Amino acid sequence: MADQTVQETFRRFSVLQRAVHLTVMFAFIGIGLTGFSMAFSSLAPARAFVWSLGGVESVRYLHRVCAVTLYLCVITEVVWLIYYKFLLRGNFFGPHSISFTKQDLLHFRDHMGYILALRNTPPPFERFAWWEKLDYWTLFIGMQTMGLTGLLLWFPEFFSRFVPGYFINLAQVLHFDEAVLAVLYKFFVHTTIRHFRPEVYPGDWTIFTGKTTKEKMMRTHPGEWARLNASGQIIPGGER
Amino acid sequence: MKPRLLRSVTAVCAIVCCLLAFGMAQPTTADDQISECLNCHRQRNLNANEGVLSSQLFCYDCHLDPSSHGDFRDAKVSLQVKPEYFQQSSHRFVACIQCHADVARSPHRSSSGVTCLQCHISFLGDPGIHASHIRVRCEACHTDSQFVELDVAQNEIKLSRTNTDSVPISLANHKTTDVSRDEFCIKCHNLNNRVGAPVAVLPSRSFVCLACHYAPLRLGSPIFLIALVVALIGMVGILAFWFKAGVEDEASSVHRKIQLGSELVWSKIFSREFFPILKTVFFDILLQRRILANGVSRWFIHSLIFYSFFARFALSLFTVFLQKIAPASELAITLVNRDSGFVATFNDVTGIFILAGVVWAMFRRFVTKPEYLLTQEQDTVALILIGLIAFTGFALEGVRILITQIPHHIAISAFTGYLISRILSIASINWQLVYGYLWYVHAILWALFIAYLPLGKLKHIFTTPLSLILNYKKE
Repeated sequence: MADQTVQETFRRFSVLQRAVHLTVMFAFIGIGLTGFSMAFSSLAPARAFVWSLGGVESVRYLHRVCAVTLYLCVITEVVWLIYYKFLLRGNFFGPHSISFTKQDLLHFRDHMGYILALRNTPPPFERFAWWEKLDYWTLFIGMQTMGLTGLLLWFPEFFSRFVPGYFINLAQVLHFDEAVLAVLYKFFVHTTIRHFRPEVYPGDWTIFTGKTTKEKMMRTHPGEWARLNASGQIIPGGER
Repeated sequence: MKPRLLRSVTAVCAIVCCLLAFGMAQPTTADDQISECLNCHRQRNLNANEGVLSSQLFCYDCHLDPSSHGDFRDAKVSLQVKPEYFQQSSHRFVACIQCHADVARSPHRSSSGVTCLQCHISFLGDPGIHASHIRVRCEACHTDSQFVELDVAQNEIKLSRTNTDSVPISLANHKTTDVSRDEFCIKCHNLNNRVGAPVAVLPSRSFVCLACHYAPLRLGSPIFLIALVVALIGMVGILAFWFKAGVEDEASSVHRKIQLGSELVWSKIFSREFFPILKTVFFDILLQRRILANGVSRWFIHSLIFYSFFARFALSLFTVFLQKIAPASELAITLVNRDSGFVATFNDVTGIFILAGVVWAMFRRFVTKPEYLLTQEQDTVALILIGLIAFTGFALEGVRILITQIPHHIAISAFTGYLISRILSIASINWQLVYGYLWYVHAILWALFIAYLPLGKLKHIFTTPLSLILNYKKE
């Protein structure tokens, strides 16, 4: 009886992906808390938070530590990309890739159709569904603009040698506005989609354990499941 | 124009002129008097350029005048500020009273001097160049005057108000030093300096020094770069050797082996075995239970070295963190200063422990030679390296205390270094010259230690804990 409840598991995320996600998660929470406590410094909770960390200087320092950590994760991803392409001979636009392809547009259309009850089944998502790719790329691209505006604010004297002074003011506005957007997106949209869906609630642990079940894989990534089964690449017991 | 009209216009103009004249000749009211006082005494908005420049102009009223002077030792010393220097400096948009904070008073004089740290607080005890110059006042390095002096009573190095012939000099020109050029160090670091500076301009410490000292998170001297490259090659060699063997069912693909190996580590850390593993880490690594099981004397020897390095490393990291987040806190000021009572005593006690551990280990290996103890070349190299590092460290401290003329009541906290400094003072050697060479010997020994880490006995620092964690089996 007990054997029947044991589900077959398969590895979905590598250790590197899990480690990067964990680091990004903590650094993002840290950067959000420190950033907003400085941006809304007139509010009592922000003041209490800043006080608890030893003043605005230390909050600023921690904000930058988190920023550098986040960007190191971006660099890790780029290094991995190079390794994936040139050493592992991977395909940027293959079914395993996180890159957007034409297929994602079709999946998006079909998915909307499924949500609006125009279709009976969801599209056969591959390794990464369109919203997962969107999740990844919003952060990845957002990190470039946040990083650039953040650098302008970190070293204003240096950058004002090359750009007019009002660029610093622009950077401040853009940095804050995009921070609000990023936090709203990650804390509400990402968290809701990943962890608050009825079938995974109270949390989807795949990104932390790296493992997924056969049932979940067939349901959420049927295209990938079918492809791997057909090619005989799927090996039960935790590895693929 | 008709005469009547002309008369009327003339009369109106005369009345208007009278009224205007009357208005202008209004007696001074109390408001006007206050306004006149505020010409000098008003609180300017120093957060805006208008307030800053207005404040500067107020000071310039006197200090641009070539005859502006102060008295020092019965001599007149010019207090004329040279705008050609000041207006080129990075402080040109800073009001005079923001730096000379206590000068706007009667009588008009300053007792605290310039207050650089009010704005530049992050440099207080900064682990780069500033921590090793903690008793040097900012202006001693950052202004262009060539004359500096050691104030033994205050235990600080400051700008001298006299030249080498004891003639009073002016310090008012506000010409700052270009610190991007190394030449400015020579003002103190020269053969005949009287401020207790070593003759050599030594490079900054490196992050690899954090194992024992408070140090910046930068590479520092090229010596350490070479050491790190050697260590890195050694580590890659070890990993390559490890991955020659198969990992689980994989025998050929290195990529797959790394994948499986990292999975193994991850599955150990993020598993239900986490707390039992933590227990293993605590007992077997931190408390060294396995070494104790092998013998009490062995445990003592290992502990003397291990705990001392561990404690020094932990304190260094904590100090770096604290200096970054709260540089003005009392604790940070204490910890960044190697002459403060706690740090000096702590460093000496841990240094003595390390030396004692090395001497005891060598005594066992080369004198008592118990049968079960196998001494290899790599054991001897490791012990000699650690012993020499500790020994040269103490010698350096002794020379430093001697040449910098730290007051005895402060220096005594570093009891070993102080004792060495007393002994060294007997020999009439130019210790200021020797210090530089000794520093390089110590640094090269540490660089050798770093480079040797993956190659010999010392690699157990990494491999033993890793092996204990990976080979952990639930009891």
